[in-house]
Amino acid sequence: MTPSLPQTTCEGSFEPSFEPKIVAFLCNWCSYAGADKAGAAQLAYPPNVRVIRVMCSGRVDPQFVLQAFRDGADGVLILACHAGDCHYKEGNCRAIQRQQLMMRYLQAFGIAEPRCRLDFVSAGEDEMFVRVVTETVNDVKALGPLAR
Amino acid sequence: MRTAVYFCSCGTNISEKIDPERIARELGGEPTVAYVRNVEYLCSEEGKEFLEADLRENRPDRAIVAACSPRDYESAFMQCLGRAGMNPYFLQMVNIREQVAWVTPDPCQAAEKACRMIRAAVARVQLHAPLERTELDVCTDVVVIGAGPAGLKAALALAEGGRKVTVVEKTPVLGGMPMRYGDLFPNLECSPCLLEPVLAEVMHGPHAERIELLTLSEVVEVTGYYGNFTVKVQQTPRYVDVDRCIGCGYCIPPCPATTPNEFNYGLDERKAISYPFSGVLPNAPFLDLQACLRGRGEDCRLCQAACPVEGAVCFNDREKTLERQAGALVVAIGAGLYDCGALPSLGHGRIPGVYTSLEFERILADNGPTHGQVSISGGTPQSVAIMHCAGSLDPHHRPYCSGICCQYAFKFNHLLESKRPGARVLHLYKELVMPGKEAYALYQRARDNPHATFVRYGDIGDVEVSADNGQILIRYPSDSGRAAAAVDMLVLCPPVVPNEGASRLAALLDAPCDEFGFFEELNGRLAFAESKMKGIYLAGACQSPTDVQRAAGQGMAAAAGILAGLVPGRKLQVEPITAWTDEEKCSGCRLCAAVCPYKAIGFEPQRRASKVNPLLCHGCGTCVATCPAGAMQGNHFSNAQIFAEIEAILQ
Repeated sequence: MTPSLPQTTCEGSFEPSFEPKIVAFLCNWCSYAGADKAGAAQLAYPPNVRVIRVMCSGRVDPQFVLQAFRDGADGVLILACHAGDCHYKEGNCRAIQRQQLMMRYLQAFGIAEPRCRLDFVSAGEDEMFVRVVTETVNDVKALGPLAR
Repeated sequence: MRTAVYFCSCGTNISEKIDPERIARELGGEPTVAYVRNVEYLCSEEGKEFLEADLRENRPDRAIVAACSPRDYESAFMQCLGRAGMNPYFLQMVNIREQVAWVTPDPCQAAEKACRMIRAAVARVQLHAPLERTELDVCTDVVVIGAGPAGLKAALALAEGGRKVTVVEKTPVLGGMPMRYGDLFPNLECSPCLLEPVLAEVMHGPHAERIELLTLSEVVEVTGYYGNFTVKVQQTPRYVDVDRCIGCGYCIPPCPATTPNEFNYGLDERKAISYPFSGVLPNAPFLDLQACLRGRGEDCRLCQAACPVEGAVCFNDREKTLERQAGALVVAIGAGLYDCGALPSLGHGRIPGVYTSLEFERILADNGPTHGQVSISGGTPQSVAIMHCAGSLDPHHRPYCSGICCQYAFKFNHLLESKRPGARVLHLYKELVMPGKEAYALYQRARDNPHATFVRYGDIGDVEVSADNGQILIRYPSDSGRAAAAVDMLVLCPPVVPNEGASRLAALLDAPCDEFGFFEELNGRLAFAESKMKGIYLAGACQSPTDVQRAAGQGMAAAAGILAGLVPGRKLQVEPITAWTDEEKCSGCRLCAAVCPYKAIGFEPQRRASKVNPLLCHGCGTCVATCPAGAMQGNHFSNAQIFAEIEAILQ
């Protein structure tokens, strides 16, 4: 992985060796399995992502996201099944609805995408998983640490 | 609290990147970690035996297994805990192989990441509750909806397995759609002959006493859940006692009332008391009160007078509502054809001689309206066009391929060749699909028919059919502009679509349908015999266009699932990873029930609180995240557990 150039942002100070902490909530059936597949394919990705497994993206309570930011996360990633593929029929739809609402609140605290990102990774999409994680790490790295 | 950490090296898969000694060093200092063990292959038999013995000897309060993905071995290690006398839910796995060792090139970074993840697991596992599986008594009887090949094969297998089965069939006869076909692809077996032994076994076979057959019946209400359904069935009166009737048919000729025969798609008429067609089982006519003079208030008794058996024709038969208990249901209601009214340019219903494939099946069948003669009002057709893909593979109609049409179309070709030697057969197709090891033979035969031509068309919207001097003129786009063919008869092969009753039944059962209205499988590849509603099984064309072979196989698959899951004398194990309501906190807003995809959450008005049915709950936790009062709790994925994990993983 080529490290992206450190940048000065409105919220972060210039830090040459900033490694963001990213908490990733992965649903058990699609995105967690996609992460496992990336492992089986030995696709390297930045170690910054810290995975928390939930059974369904619908379980991701907005409080989890707030707690993660409060406890030091620089970014939060919620990965769900693709539309129509949810193991629990429609939990991912709830995750989408909640994300839209949550982003409005987070923006009040200066947190916007890509610092908090919802995306969709199926059990077969190992490369997609790696791409989303790598992008998020780079994007948050570019933003700098979350000012608290 | 003493937590044991078991680090699996996975040969060198993990230890190559993550130094076990560093893990032992860093975690050994944690106050809650009692010890760290390094095992070479924890998933091997020796590894599991070691884990069990070590747990039994050291009696930790909680256990961490840092190894591969929990999706692989979590249940195996939970069993080890159980055998060692620990609560199996006191385990937390850490995925340091797929999600660390294999994806982190730098060993130092890998070890750091693994340490963080193990610490988070240690923090989380402290809060794990001793969950127990609960057990429920179940009813092992089954209700099968639909008496086609899928439903009947399911019923037979279930009855042979000792279960009581009620088969609910909407029509007066058994056998489903294939009973209406003369011959079946790919081998041109006589369809009623093929089905007859199955029907005989259902009615009189060694396990028939366990099969209850309800014809002219429909399921009108289903309550309960897997293991304990209550099914209400409404049975329309037949006015003929099936047990007394000897099947002589003497009642039919004197009947003065006729009506279009819906079993022949209105191609001929039947009497008000009649068989749908000859050779059906049960071998007893039915009286259609809507067509009967008695339905119009007249006291006609001609059928009863002609009947040689006292009491076989019984005018005092009444509509019945029956109630059956069942542990599971099998939906096997079959499918129908796409309404050709949506393809008006093809002339069906407007131009004489244009038939759907189902109508043509009846024309070809010996017991059909023409007794198997391929004839039209003007005489015998010298040319027949068969239009494949009439609305299939088309985003404006149905985007999918039904997978069976080409095969029956080539069957038609073969039967035309023998019934009308010398007749020209024109196959108009978009794509030709002949899967499997047997289908090519009929295709090859059609290709060898010297009177057959094959023409590929592009868009069904560009095909126009019109009446032309007693013939049917088909105009279609070709490579050289537009081409035309005049034929005496046109057979349309529209897509297979869900039955009319599918959406009503799906609503009754709370079982979801896909975008086309077919019943949706729990998983289209690996759990196709189950719907997304637990205890509701699927078989045959109600879930996808299907041939007889696959329908019968799916019926057997549904039966296997039920026989394995519902066993007499065995209680149903209910997984504890479900939601539950803290009644003190519940405000009664019922948002939880609104988001539950499984209708697992009810409401107790007296307590003004929601209540989760753990049997229906799949443990997704959506309600837990939704509850504004924090009243919904998720076992094994509680807020406190996840908060602890978040806090620790960020340190």
